Amino acid sequence: MRMRPTSRSDEASGTPEGSSVSLMGLFDEGTRTAEAIDALLAAGIAPEQMVVMSGVPYPEQALGRRREWLALPYIVLAGAASGFLFGLFLSVVTPHLYRLDVGGHPAVGFPPAAIIVFVFTMMATIVSTFLGVLWEMNFPRFGPAPYHKLVTDGNLALMLECSPSREGEVRQILQAHNAHHIGEPERMTL
Amino acid sequence: MSETLPTAEAQYDERVLLAKRKDSEINQAVLQPMMQTGRGFWGLVAALSAIVAWGVFAWGYLIYWGIGVTGKNRPVYWTLFITTFVFWIGISHAGTMISAVLRLLKADWRRPITRGAEAMTAFALMMAGLYPLIHLGRVWKFYWMIPYPNNRFMWPNFQSPLMWDLVAISTYLIGSTLYLYLALIPDMAMARDHTDGLRYRLYRMLALGWRGTEAEWHKLHRALGIFSVAIIPIFLSVHSIVSWDFAVTVQPRWHSTIFAPYFVVGAIYSGLAALATILVIVRRGMRLQEFLRSEHFDSLGKIVMVAGMFWTYFWFAGFLVEWYGNEPVIRELIRQEVSGRLAPLFYLQMTANLVPIVLLAFRRIRTTPAALLGATLLVNVGMYTERLLIVIGSLQRNDIPFNWGTYRTTWVEVSIVAMTFAGFVLLYTLFSRVVPYVPVWEIKEGRLRYTMRRIGRLLVPTAAEIE
Amino acid sequence: MPDVKASAERTPRWAMAVDLDRCTGCQACLVACHAENNVPVAGEKLAGYGRWMHWIIIDRYWEGEFPNVRARFMPVMCQQCGEAPCEPVCPVFATYHNPEGLNAQVYNRCIGTRFCGNACPYKVRTFNWFRPEFPEPLTEQLNPDVTVRSRGIMEKCTFCLQRIRAVEMEARAAGRRPADGEIQPACVQTCPPEALVFGDLNDPESRVSQLARSHRSFRLLDELGAEPAVIYLKGGETNV
Repeated sequence: MRMRPTSRSDEASGTPEGSSVSLMGLFDEGTRTAEAIDALLAAGIAPEQMVVMSGVPYPEQALGRRREWLALPYIVLAGAASGFLFGLFLSVVTPHLYRLDVGGHPAVGFPPAAIIVFVFTMMATIVSTFLGVLWEMNFPRFGPAPYHKLVTDGNLALMLECSPSREGEVRQILQAHNAHHIGEPERMTL
Repeated sequence: MSETLPTAEAQYDERVLLAKRKDSEINQAVLQPMMQTGRGFWGLVAALSAIVAWGVFAWGYLIYWGIGVTGKNRPVYWTLFITTFVFWIGISHAGTMISAVLRLLKADWRRPITRGAEAMTAFALMMAGLYPLIHLGRVWKFYWMIPYPNNRFMWPNFQSPLMWDLVAISTYLIGSTLYLYLALIPDMAMARDHTDGLRYRLYRMLALGWRGTEAEWHKLHRALGIFSVAIIPIFLSVHSIVSWDFAVTVQPRWHSTIFAPYFVVGAIYSGLAALATILVIVRRGMRLQEFLRSEHFDSLGKIVMVAGMFWTYFWFAGFLVEWYGNEPVIRELIRQEVSGRLAPLFYLQMTANLVPIVLLAFRRIRTTPAALLGATLLVNVGMYTERLLIVIGSLQRNDIPFNWGTYRTTWVEVSIVAMTFAGFVLLYTLFSRVVPYVPVWEIKEGRLRYTMRRIGRLLVPTAAEIE
Repeated sequence: MPDVKASAERTPRWAMAVDLDRCTGCQACLVACHAENNVPVAGEKLAGYGRWMHWIIIDRYWEGEFPNVRARFMPVMCQQCGEAPCEPVCPVFATYHNPEGLNAQVYNRCIGTRFCGNACPYKVRTFNWFRPEFPEPLTEQLNPDVTVRSRGIMEKCTFCLQRIRAVEMEARAAGRRPADGEIQPACVQTCPPEALVFGDLNDPESRVSQLARSHRSFRLLDELGAEPAVIYLKGGETNV
């Protein structure tokens, strides 16, 4: 990874001079990362300015971070409801629109309708789960984004934004907790 | 293959070894077999493609000349195609069982297996989905089963079990493919970061820009959790619906209320056995000995055994009632199976289904790859024969003796059945070279959660109970 | 001209009575049906494998040992069930129940799943396994009122729906209802001992209704509850 000089000019990252600086440090394992995060929080960096990237999911509380509110369950519920209604429409309404009598059964019977409604509800549930999670993650996103390939080799990348005046302090904290590859994050095409 | 899996102490060493590996080593261990495509691999692909090509030719022959080139007749209107259809749907059940149910139960041993199982489900469903098209008399009009407003003012019949099949199998196929893909995204990111060239471009596209931020992991976990819960009713319903293809008719031996759970349990039995078969072969072929260890086969074998016991119970519950009722046609069908023309198949079915249950009770068998392979292959031979007897055997007899018939198979049917078997293996082989076979992120996640702990003299791995 | 069909009186329920005491097993009905409905001939080999195409077939059972052998005949055609098990299983509505109580088969809708063939307990449905061939000059003899089916289509007895419609249209044009016995499917028309009778079961005065009330009447596989519209009549021992 390229190491950028610690100058204050941010023409590479495109932000106007003097507003904020992005830094990233790689850690070998989770405990040190959590301690580093605690130290940074104590130093006054807001939690929203920090992002942790890892190749392995760490449980939420392990790194001392808060859980984010997700719209996903509501998307799924809405999807399931729409699937339910569509199934109802297909099995209960359309046989009356295209009326044909078969086998001594009424046009709409409970068992076939129940099966169709159930299957369409489940189909809509899973499709809306998938599309909902993609939407919430803003996927697919192929443009340049701050990242480092070593993340998938077991390192945790702590990325944060701070004002340029605090950059030195932040670097110190990161080094104190054995981070390596400290520097401006490379915006890789993903 | 006379290899036995290691003893308890050696197993412990294996796990410690895996625990000691660095993440980058695990990545390489999984990516390496994907890149190696030697002569054996291409030979296999060529042979399978040849069988598939021959099957496609046979299918074209079938479409051109008509269904008469098969062995079907009146009254045996459904034969090998529907049999194999039910078989493939059965195979497809194991993937979801392992993935979804074990994920919900937080069983750690599922971790290396889930992707192979989900792939098995997806490909088995693709093969199964061909058969409703293959067996149609006028396949070029298949789209009339799709509900769309048209100028004929015609609509499909949602009271027909074939329509339920259509929607349920589509749902399950979409569901299992999406489930497979969703859990694959982090590993696509890993592969993207470690390859270049054409593979890099493919993985980059499939990784959707995954970086591994906490938000992404959180959302992925949530989505997988919802998927796991949602896909269980789906897979239970799919095989029930397929069983109702038979049970809603008044054909003797078909009109049985036990068909739905009987088929579901049979599917779990057959699918888990197929999964074990595939895992033994892949473990050897891709040198994944470090990831697929004896404890996995031990647990899998136990579940296959339990599923077999369930199957036996449901089979007996159905058989007892039929035998006791003494209805003339059913009595004749039972006589055919027990002492008539169908007897060889019936005894093959019972032997091949019951013997593995006994065999798998022994730990020795469960943890010896060759023995497990043999036992589980036997299970699927038995289950295929069971479907044969249910579909073809029952149709040969009915309420009016003048209408009793017989059946002889033809090369067209056998070729097309072989096509789907070869197609499944081909898809699976190609899959194993394109996609990391073991879910690397899940294994790493598992490693994070277990440590070695000392209890008295023992040093045991313990898993942490966290979300 | 009043539309007779829409009158306040009932719609007909077509039924057939088969008098087994009269049937000689001559199979004239079978041949007539082939001629009337463009049913192809399967040939000896295919027929032996169960692929004959007859819409009406004489079920024959042998009883007893020589020299006391007896043959039992039973002409079986589509029973036009009131609650047909073959109808709900077709995914594309190629078979449905029409208001006159007939089980209608729509040839150009059938996609050939053969589910109805399995569902029918009487196994009266036949399937076009290959493209049927009518060698010259049999093509001259094809009935223009009936579709010639291609491969992949299920077919079965329709009570000669084309004849029913023809007579109904003629009668409506003349401002009357079809008389009892005026509509005759091909088999009914041909049967030499007049063992087959066709008529309206909803008309209590028709011959079919009267025969249905006879003490000799029974229905095939009645216990299945499919409500067949074919009434069989059988008294004591008549076949030798």
